[in-house]
Amino acid sequence: MFKKLKRLFANLFGKKDEIKLGIYGPPNTGKTTLANRISEEFTGEEMGTASEVPHETRVVQKKEKVRLQSNGKEISMNLLDMPGISTKVDYKEFVEHGINEDEAKVRSKEATKGVVEAIKWLDKVDAVLVVFDSTEDPYTQVNVTILGNLEAKDIPIILVANKTDLDDAEPESIKDAFPQYNFTKISAKEKENMEDLYKKVVESV
Amino acid sequence: MAKKKKKKDGVKIEFLSKLRLQEKAFEEKLDLIMDSVKDENILVLEEALNAEEKAQLIEKSMEECDEDFPGVEFSGFDSRENWFERILASITGKEKKDGLLIVGSSDVMEKVKEDKDAISMIAKLE
Repeated sequence: MFKKLKRLFANLFGKKDEIKLGIYGPPNTGKTTLANRISEEFTGEEMGTASEVPHETRVVQKKEKVRLQSNGKEISMNLLDMPGISTKVDYKEFVEHGINEDEAKVRSKEATKGVVEAIKWLDKVDAVLVVFDSTEDPYTQVNVTILGNLEAKDIPIILVANKTDLDDAEPESIKDAFPQYNFTKISAKEKENMEDLYKKVVESV
Repeated sequence: MAKKKKKKDGVKIEFLSKLRLQEKAFEEKLDLIMDSVKDENILVLEEALNAEEKAQLIEKSMEECDEDFPGVEFSGFDSRENWFERILASITGKEKKDGLLIVGSSDVMEKVKEDKDAISMIAKLE
């Protein structure tokens, strides 16, 4: 209740120069690919390395002063690519991706710290893109937890159904699972429908 | 140092009633959950967790993750408060906890399918 009032007063009396836009979601939903697309489009530089190995992003990646323009409007923001949130991190999964056991154990420890860091950032972001893999079942406890925490803090949310270029993509299942939120479907990899996402970001924040 | 796992014949499932849980602070419940799931049990609580508590459960399981404990799998049904109950809860600080939580080590428990009204899980016997 207190947090909500604080946010309401901050919005009424203090206009922020820079918005902190967080990119959240489970591992391997394409968060870094999306962050790279946005960053490349508005700053000319990518942000991080995307990989098929889960938990490739293990610390929060930041890109400052990204001036996003759409529909005749412009917002200045700090773009934050978050480590993927999951309830489990098993080093054996990294070994299956060809990483040696010692390195897999180190990576696993770093990944658990990344998840904790991403959760702590839920209190500090101003708006969030929650990224889904459109080929996966969207109704998971990780997604329910991320959305529930953001909603409790009154943080604007856009659901981003990513990977729509894949044959088995079902982006509408995400909208059906969480119909109360702002929604768009994209392929960050193929740069499809990015303009709709930019428009929704500008409108939301 | 990581504890060596003992081989078990089966999976123990513990049920905790609402009555038993209502006396405990959330931190106590969290410790109870972690102790039980690290012992490779599946725990069924006659109580839902709110979003903030679920985030704390994920944080705690990540902090305790090691080679023998890869984290948790959890699922459940949440209480669905109407607008009046939500306002009342924000004023009184007492929210409706009706629901169910199933939690286990991800070594033992695997989610098969989950939606708002139905869940199916597999308990792995290794």
